[in-house]
Amino acid sequence: MSALLQYLITGVSRGFLFALLATGFVVIFRVTKVVNFAQGAFVVLGGFIAYSLLAAGVPHGVSEGLAVLATAGIGLVFGAITILGNLTPVAALITTIGLAIASEAIAMLVWGTTPLSFSGLGGTDLHLGHVLVQPQYLLLIGVSLVVLVGLWLVLERTYVGKGLTACASNPYAARLAGINVKRMGLLAFGLGGALGGLGGVLIMPLFPLTYDGDVNLAILGFAAAIVGGLTSPGLALVGGLVFGIAEQLVAGYWSQANETAVALGLMIVLLLWNAYRQRAEQVA
Amino acid sequence: MNGAPRRRQPDLPRAVALVVVGAATLALPLVLNTPQLTIYVTVGLFTMAVAGLSLLMGFAGQVSLGQGAFYGIGAYTAAIMAVHGWPPLLALVLAPVMTTAIAVVLGAVLLRLRGHALAFGTLAVQLIFLSVLSQTPSLTGGDVGLSGIPALGIGSFTLTSHLGYAYFVWLAAAAVLLVSRNITRSRPGRGLRAMATAPSAAAATGVNVVSYRLRDFALSAAYAGLAGGIYAFYLGYISPDAFPIMLSIEFVIMVVVGGLGTVSGAFVGAAAITVVTQVLSSLGTGPTLPAQLPAVLSDGVYALILITVLRLLPDGIVGACSRLARGAVAAGARVARRREPPPVGEAEAAPVVASAEPAQPEIAGLVPPRRGA
Repeated sequence: MSALLQYLITGVSRGFLFALLATGFVVIFRVTKVVNFAQGAFVVLGGFIAYSLLAAGVPHGVSEGLAVLATAGIGLVFGAITILGNLTPVAALITTIGLAIASEAIAMLVWGTTPLSFSGLGGTDLHLGHVLVQPQYLLLIGVSLVVLVGLWLVLERTYVGKGLTACASNPYAARLAGINVKRMGLLAFGLGGALGGLGGVLIMPLFPLTYDGDVNLAILGFAAAIVGGLTSPGLALVGGLVFGIAEQLVAGYWSQANETAVALGLMIVLLLWNAYRQRAEQVA
Repeated sequence: MNGAPRRRQPDLPRAVALVVVGAATLALPLVLNTPQLTIYVTVGLFTMAVAGLSLLMGFAGQVSLGQGAFYGIGAYTAAIMAVHGWPPLLALVLAPVMTTAIAVVLGAVLLRLRGHALAFGTLAVQLIFLSVLSQTPSLTGGDVGLSGIPALGIGSFTLTSHLGYAYFVWLAAAAVLLVSRNITRSRPGRGLRAMATAPSAAAATGVNVVSYRLRDFALSAAYAGLAGGIYAFYLGYISPDAFPIMLSIEFVIMVVVGGLGTVSGAFVGAAAITVVTQVLSSLGTGPTLPAQLPAVLSDGVYALILITVLRLLPDGIVGACSRLARGAVAAGARVARRREPPPVGEAEAAPVVASAEPAQPEIAGLVPPRRGA
């Protein structure tokens, strides 16, 4: 029982990381129709930048904040490279693969190839029965939840959010209404970068990151985003939690080596279900 | 239709180029040392895998991030059989057969996906493949890999020298490119191109979209399987480390750099990227340099090449060259016309040469399937 509780807590925190990644995929895809393969790179770069700032003596909180700002900036640059000029969707996807490789090269050059980590939120571990919970888990869950709900409010209630949604549902009409669709696309990439970076600075004290961890993170975030057909932030959160918990349960009760295969098999099933649903919509 | 004269015109320089490249690549192994021969063999093997991916990307318009998995499946099929005492040649033949069979099963499911969904689906397949490898140590050697793969051979004759493998790979790559060339010029090839641009229109004109796509996928996997099989025999040792995700991404880079939708692009892309990587890794290796520098350099250059080629040369090296060549032919024709005005009868024929050059006739020129054929 206490093992199950432990898996659930770890799974939920991993799930919020995937949800942040998935929401990044959704925010970018909705506006630009680009699937950003470099989404996992934001996590790695965000974590590494915070690591360096902390090592340089910048206090907690400020380091993490600056790292998230930096990944937002990196997101803007990636967005500019991907969506300015008119690439086909396939060319845009391949471009983001190029950006992911470039990020790996930079991460390897600056931070080397060993896994990195830093100490997170201090304080004593909480006891839930026999289960120890590090405060960092609660910080990860709390901050992600606040950010995701905040983002949802921004999308639903503010002018900018409505502009993003307008670009997502009908770019042509959005342009007629005076919305700069390209600028909204850049904003979406910046948001995606910030969400990934936030995931990175929150997860790194719990799970060390390596320079080439971005592909696995990207594919799990994408899998979570697919639950909502790449367009629904709410379902992306659900998807993140499903994949996070499933991953920990498979690793805990079956074998760690099978967790990837199970998650990816589940993703393929979701992709097929999505394709089937889309075709059914087209026919109807 | 002015099909015949139009087609013959650009074919002459192409034939000359083909003979020159063929002769040069045949003569090259004689002057290379052993490390260089290894690069030569690698280029040949990658050409085959990339030719397969090119069929999928260039003609069916779909991206696969799992071509490295098929390369690996071919390598492991050949290695496992040869290690268990099967005749090496039979093991090599079974490598593409096994790969094709697996591709048909996977393709029947995965090919319902398009675009980014297919890209991530095939990426997942490769990750699952790698996971399976490390889970089955009794069969595949697990993370340690399989060693002691015998040399390729038949009866008492065995292929042991690097030179021998170089020529064997040349033959295999040439055969693969020839098959690709014939397919792209056949009715299924035209059907595939039609599908890439307008699937509904293709289906409406009688192209069996599902079947063509599956056969295309299977053939592209077969190429990679054959290349992987030869790789296993050439190296004598394989492990999961030889088939990382990066390998599949490298294949995509080679297709893009060589030129989407061209047969020779597979060779040009594989050769260009492999040679550039080798040069960079020798530049980045040194006693005083950090150990990860070669990887940093090659990753950085991959990224730079990928991003710039997509923007500046969307049709790759081969596409750009043939555009230049066509431009030269057209300009030559224009000059010739100006110098001596053609007789009245030929006045209409001459401009055809200059004007019948759409940007990418191989891709954009959608030739409808012949009626009743």
